[in-house]
Amino acid sequence: MKLHCVSLWLLGTILMLCSVDNHGLRRCLISTDMHHIEESFQEIKRAIQAKDTFPNVTILSTLETLQIIKPLDVCCVTKNLLAFYVDRVFKDHQEPNPKILRKISSIANSFLYMQKTLRQCQEQRQCHCRQEATNVTRVIHDNYDQLEVRSAAIKSLGELDIFLAWIAKNHEVTSSA
Amino acid sequence: MLPRLVVLLAAFLSRRLGSDAHGTELPSPPSVWFEAEFFHHILHWTPIPNQSESTCYEVALLRYGVEPWNSISNCSQALSYDLTAVTLDLYRSNGYRARVRAVDGSRHSNWTVTNTRFSVDEVTLTVGSVKLEIHNGFILGKIQPPRPKMAPENDTYESIFSHFREYEIAIRKVPGNFTFTHKKVKHENFSLLTSGEVGEFCVQVKPSVTSRTNKGMWSKEECVSLTRQYFTVTNVIIFFAFVLLLSGALAYCLALQLYVRRRKKLPRVLLFKKPNAFIFISQRPSPEIQDTIHPLDEEAFLKVSPELRNSDLHGSTDSGFGSTKPSLQTEEPQFLLPDPHPQADRTLRNGEPPELGDSCSSGSSNSTDSGICLQEPSLSPSTGPTWEQQVGSDSKGQDDSGIGLVQNSEGQAGDTQGGSALGHDSPPEPEVPAEQDPTAVVFRGYLRQTRCAEEKATKTGCLEEELPLTGGLGPKFRGCLDDKAGLHPPALAKGYLKQDPLEMTLASSGAPTEQWNQPTEEWSLLALSSCSDLGTSDWSFAHDLAPLGCVVAPGGLLGSFNSDLVTLPLISSLHSSE
Repeated sequence: MKLHCVSLWLLGTILMLCSVDNHGLRRCLISTDMHHIEESFQEIKRAIQAKDTFPNVTILSTLETLQIIKPLDVCCVTKNLLAFYVDRVFKDHQEPNPKILRKISSIANSFLYMQKTLRQCQEQRQCHCRQEATNVTRVIHDNYDQLEVRSAAIKSLGELDIFLAWIAKNHEVTSSA
Repeated sequence: MLPRLVVLLAAFLSRRLGSDAHGTELPSPPSVWFEAEFFHHILHWTPIPNQSESTCYEVALLRYGVEPWNSISNCSQALSYDLTAVTLDLYRSNGYRARVRAVDGSRHSNWTVTNTRFSVDEVTLTVGSVKLEIHNGFILGKIQPPRPKMAPENDTYESIFSHFREYEIAIRKVPGNFTFTHKKVKHENFSLLTSGEVGEFCVQVKPSVTSRTNKGMWSKEECVSLTRQYFTVTNVIIFFAFVLLLSGALAYCLALQLYVRRRKKLPRVLLFKKPNAFIFISQRPSPEIQDTIHPLDEEAFLKVSPELRNSDLHGSTDSGFGSTKPSLQTEEPQFLLPDPHPQADRTLRNGEPPELGDSCSSGSSNSTDSGICLQEPSLSPSTGPTWEQQVGSDSKGQDDSGIGLVQNSEGQAGDTQGGSALGHDSPPEPEVPAEQDPTAVVFRGYLRQTRCAEEKATKTGCLEEELPLTGGLGPKFRGCLDDKAGLHPPALAKGYLKQDPLEMTLASSGAPTEQWNQPTEEWSLLALSSCSDLGTSDWSFAHDLAPLGCVVAPGGLLGSFNSDLVTLPLISSLHSSE
């Protein structure tokens, strides 16, 4: 009887730990309305991507960078990329068109909210950055540095849909419609 | 100064040479864009102005972030190109960039690149097909996602857009072009309630994914005709239930009617046995008859008959009976016997007054009697039947003596009971007027229907049963006779039975009408029978009635009935004498 109870307890603990690793960050960003951000981007996508004159260069999708990130690194990579956009892309881009500027500003504010929500969730759980996550972040920064700042900023803004799709995929709630 | 001039010249010359190498510069296509559906990616471009017949277009494709540009078509005359085959992983990658340039001979235009990165977000969602079915007043629809041939096996619409699929349904009724209603469903199967409407309905579907910004395209209109169905399962069940209910109600009503109209049985008290050959004079006594009926001797009967005529059988309470010559006598003698007394009182027929005045005055109590006199029979017991009013002795004051006995034709006056309502208080033996013709005796007056109950307690048969002047009188009277050989008045004492051959009225009120009806019917029938059947054959009750009826034909049934009453005591007295 005792052995049965102990085995059940161990199994439950293991399952709980696994779920924490996989769903730790997801629970942090469930309340974020990703769809609003996506809609805002779609309205300015044509104008921004049209200014991208280097289609053969990518910043976020080099060697399928984001595709190979493991679930354990999702928390770290998400945190780093949010900081990348807020600290470098939105600051380097100079938008003359007010309409487009308004949309970009709303997207930037949404990113700031996501950073705050993620920081609160990370304080409760340990969000360690492993070497793989650090490498991915460094590649993205290197790609950004190879281009001119204005072109890099435009290109990074043009790749927002990739970043948003990646967030939705890794932080998606399992219960779907 | 001089180096600067040399550099400028070189640049100018190089540009000039370049332009010359390319000829007149062709204009590049103004715009290039993708129009894509699920695994149907078409690149479109606008033609260059003033293009010649030899102008064609070169298409190149680039996978976003991956070099180099791949040339897809070197010279395409059309203004569009299907790039589905080279963009199969569009839904799992970051997208593509495409570019087009005009080519005319050796001249090429500049590349025109698509403005946006061609990604999954630019795919317009469509629906493969919509199937509609009608079921129980509902329109059941099934949406089939697109199944393009070029799509890989693992890349299905459901797998790529795994969540948040949604469809908007527009329903239109054919007569009008306005949209009837919009409805959003989150599954490929939907149902529409028509609310009993009939007609043709057309449905269109537009897909969407709520987590994406992809646009949707309305599908082709699918129409279905809705007709009013009468023979649905529900209607059939209701119909059969109604039929069963109705038939049950009808069956119940029918059963009720049959029960109400069933042949009712008479109460037991009203039932009386058929007279089993209540034979007084029968030469073949019926074994069922418990009465010891002995056949009457014709001679004795003849002797008795006149005595009975003159006998006084009235009591103090008699109100008006008399006539030792009852009017029961008819022209036709009841018994086919020689008339020893040609002076038989045949005058005692219809309407003749009784002629027993002598006998009456002698021993009749005229105080209360209205006219019935009975003379005691002067016959010796051995000679003939004697009239004994034994019953009356014990029931003085009880029964009315208004009885006029008329001796019917002697011999076979098997006439039995006519309900001998012979009640008499002072029952001296009725004198049979000798002058009367024993063959024809007519009684006039009333026959009181008395009871035997008080006198003969043991005679339950007499007491209980009324002595109806019907066929029942036979057995009842028979019962009375069993106990004693004498006369027993009938149990019924409810009135007088006027024995008037002329007047077919029944004074008796006690007699049940039913009993009267029965004998009436019987006697009427019997009267119709052969009156000549007066032989000594089976003297059943029926037969007895027949001759009586014949005898008192003018008097009708009442006359015959009275005659029965008259003859019964006569017969009993005859029996007892023997």
